[in-house]
Amino acid sequence: MSTSSSPEPHLFATDPAWADVTPIEQYEGSTAPLAPILYGAVYKDATDYLRAIVASNEKSPRVLELTEAVVRLNPSHYTAWQYRYETLLALKGSTPRLIAKEEDLMDELAIRCLKSYQVWHHRRLLVLLSVERKDGKLAEAEVERVKRELEFISRSFEEDSKNYHTWSYRQWVLSHFFGSSASSSVADNDEDEDTIESVWTKELAWTERMLEKDVRNNSAWHHRFFVVFERPGARVGEGEIRRELRYTKQSIALAPNNASAWNYLRGVLHRLSIPYASLQAFVTPYTVVSGDKPGSKDAAGGEEDEIIDPENPRPSPGAQLPCPAALEFLADVYEKEGEREGVLKAVEIWKSLANEHDTMRRRYWEHRIREGIEAISERKSA
Amino acid sequence: MSTSELLIPLHVSYIQKLGENKDDLTYHLTSHLRLNAVYWGLTALAIMGRQDALDRNEMIEFVMSCWDEEAGGFGAHPGHDAHLLATLSGIQILVMQDAMERLDVDRVAKFILSLQQPSGVFAGDAYGEIDTRFLYCAVNALSLLGRLGDLDVKKTVGYIKSCRNFDGGFGASIGAESHAAQVFVCVAALAILGRLDEVDVDTLGWWLAERQLPNGGLNGRPEKLEDVCYSFWVLSALSILKKVPWIDAEKLTAFILSAQDPEGGGIADRPGDMVDVFHTIFGVAGLSILGYPGLVDLDPVYCMPAEVIEAKGLRKDWQALPRREK
Repeated sequence: MSTSSSPEPHLFATDPAWADVTPIEQYEGSTAPLAPILYGAVYKDATDYLRAIVASNEKSPRVLELTEAVVRLNPSHYTAWQYRYETLLALKGSTPRLIAKEEDLMDELAIRCLKSYQVWHHRRLLVLLSVERKDGKLAEAEVERVKRELEFISRSFEEDSKNYHTWSYRQWVLSHFFGSSASSSVADNDEDEDTIESVWTKELAWTERMLEKDVRNNSAWHHRFFVVFERPGARVGEGEIRRELRYTKQSIALAPNNASAWNYLRGVLHRLSIPYASLQAFVTPYTVVSGDKPGSKDAAGGEEDEIIDPENPRPSPGAQLPCPAALEFLADVYEKEGEREGVLKAVEIWKSLANEHDTMRRRYWEHRIREGIEAISERKSA
Repeated sequence: MSTSELLIPLHVSYIQKLGENKDDLTYHLTSHLRLNAVYWGLTALAIMGRQDALDRNEMIEFVMSCWDEEAGGFGAHPGHDAHLLATLSGIQILVMQDAMERLDVDRVAKFILSLQQPSGVFAGDAYGEIDTRFLYCAVNALSLLGRLGDLDVKKTVGYIKSCRNFDGGFGASIGAESHAAQVFVCVAALAILGRLDEVDVDTLGWWLAERQLPNGGLNGRPEKLEDVCYSFWVLSALSILKKVPWIDAEKLTAFILSAQDPEGGGIADRPGDMVDVFHTIFGVAGLSILGYPGLVDLDPVYCMPAEVIEAKGLRKDWQALPRREK
C-alpha cells in the first residue's frame, strides 16, 4: 500500500493486521517528544515495526508489505533491503511467481531510487535467483530475461545517463551471463557462440547510440573501452583497431573539446602500442587558430574542394580552435621524437598552453617545460 | 557576512547544533551514517582548531554505543549492524579523542579482516557490497590499530592494480569508470601499503588536474558538475602524488569559500545549495591542503590531523601547499 497515494497515511500502529506486534523504538528511554511532522511520524512508525520484526525473525508475507513501506521512504535503508531479500528466500518455495512479482515491483521502484546502491544490488540478487543455469547453459527464456534486464537498464539511463551504479551493474550483467568463460557460457556449439558474439555486437551498437545522445558521456566512453578491449572473450584485430581509431577521430571532429574522446584515443594507442606520431596528420588541423579564410569549409581553414579523408576528419564548422587537448597531443608527438628540435617545438606549445590556452593548469605546463629542457640539457652534457 | 574568508565561528556553531533537532526527518533518514557524521564534524572542528567545541566524553560514549557486540565492529548508529565505514569512523574518533583503550583491538581487526574477499577487495558488511572505498577503510583502520601485519598485502594491492583504468585513474571495482573519490581511496590505500609504484603518477596527476573547471571548482569525472567534496578527494590524491601545484589554488579556494552559508554556517556542494556536514569537512579539508591561513595541517592519507598521525609514526610521504600567513 503506497503511503503517498492515500489521504490518510497508513500506520502499522493502527493497522489491526499488526496488532500482535510490539514496535521497538529507536531511541529507547528517550523522553523527547516527536514533533508532529506527519512524514516523520510515518517513517518512525514503519521503522519501529521493522525493528520488531527483525528481532522476532518473522519471515511472512506481511514483512514484504512492511519492508516495501520502509524502502519507499528511505531507499538507502540497507537493513530493510537485506531483510526483504531474506524474506523472499524464505517464501519463494511456497509462493508461485513471487520473484517475478518482485521484479515487476523493482522496475517500478528503481526509477525513484536510482542513486541508491541497494536497489541495484537487490536487482542483482533477483536476477541471480530467476536465471538458473542447467548444465552450465542458459535456456532461451533465460537469455530473454537477461536481455529484459539490459533493456530496463537502458530505460533507467534516460533518467540519469551517468549513474555510476547503473553502468557498473550493466557491466556485471553482461560479463556474468555473456562472458565466454566456461562457468557462465551459453556456448556449447557454434550456434551458441553466435548468440554470445551477437550480444556484444549489439552492445557496441547500443553504446554508440548512447554516445550519439551525448558524445561527452564519459561513462559511455569507458563502457566502450570495456566492450571492445576488456570484456571476457574480447578479440581485437586489424579491423577493430581501424574502426576504433576512425570512430574516435570522427567524434573528435564533431566536438573537439571533449576530454573523454581524447582520453579514449590515448587509451587505445597505449593499449595497442601505436605510436602517437601516426596521428600527427589528424591532430594538426585542431591545433591552428580558427580559420577566418573566406569560403573555408571547416574551422581549420580547409579548402572547399579539398578531398575528404576519412582517416583524418577535419574539425566541424564552428569548432572552438585551437583545441587544448590537440595541442597537448601534438606536443607529446614532438617530445616523443626524442630529438632536441622536437623537444623545443613541444616547449613552444607548452608555453602557449600555460600562457594562453589552458592557463588554469599553468603549473603543470611549466613542469612539462622544465622536464623537457632538463632532458635536452642532460643529453648535451652526456 | 562576506564569503571571501572562511567563517570559522559560524561553522563551529553549525556543527555543534547538528543532532540537536532529533525530531527532524532528515535526522532519521541519515541514521545509517550517524557515526560517519560525527567523525566528519569532529575532524572539521579539529582542522579549524576547535576540537574542544564538542564534549569529548559524550562523543566517546556515543561511539561505544554503536559497538555491535555480535559482529565485533561499529555500526553507524546504536542498534545498526556493524559496517566497515562506521568501524573506520569509530576508530578515527577514538584515536583523535585519545581513547584507544576503549577498543577491543583483536576483535575489531578480526571483523575487518573477515570482510576481505578472495579477489582482495573488501565487502562493507555481510550484505556483500564491494567497493574500493571499503578496501581503503580496512587498510586505514588496520593501520591505525597497528595491525597491518595481519593483512595479505599482495592480494590487496593486486585488487587495486586491477582497478586501474586506461586513463590512469581507478574505479570502485574492476572495470568500473575512473572517479575521483575512488582514485583517492586507491591511492591513499597504496600510500599506506607502501605501494605507490603501482600508480602512473604523471598520467593520473594530469587526470586529477583536469578535474578543475573554469569556475575553479573540481568535478569527479570528465563532463560532470563541480562539487566541493572533490576538493578533498582530488587534492588529497594530488598531495600524495606531490602535485598539488598542478591545480589553480586561488580559484579553488574562492570556489570553496563561495559555497559557505554566511547565515547558518556550514558548506554546501556548490554555491547556493543546502549545506551539510559532509561538504563542510571536505571543504575545510581542501582549504587546509591548499595552505589556507589559520587552519591546522591535515594528513591527506588518513584525513585526520597531521599531528595525530605523526605521533603514531604513520606519516607517509605527501606534500600540501605551505600554510599562508593571515
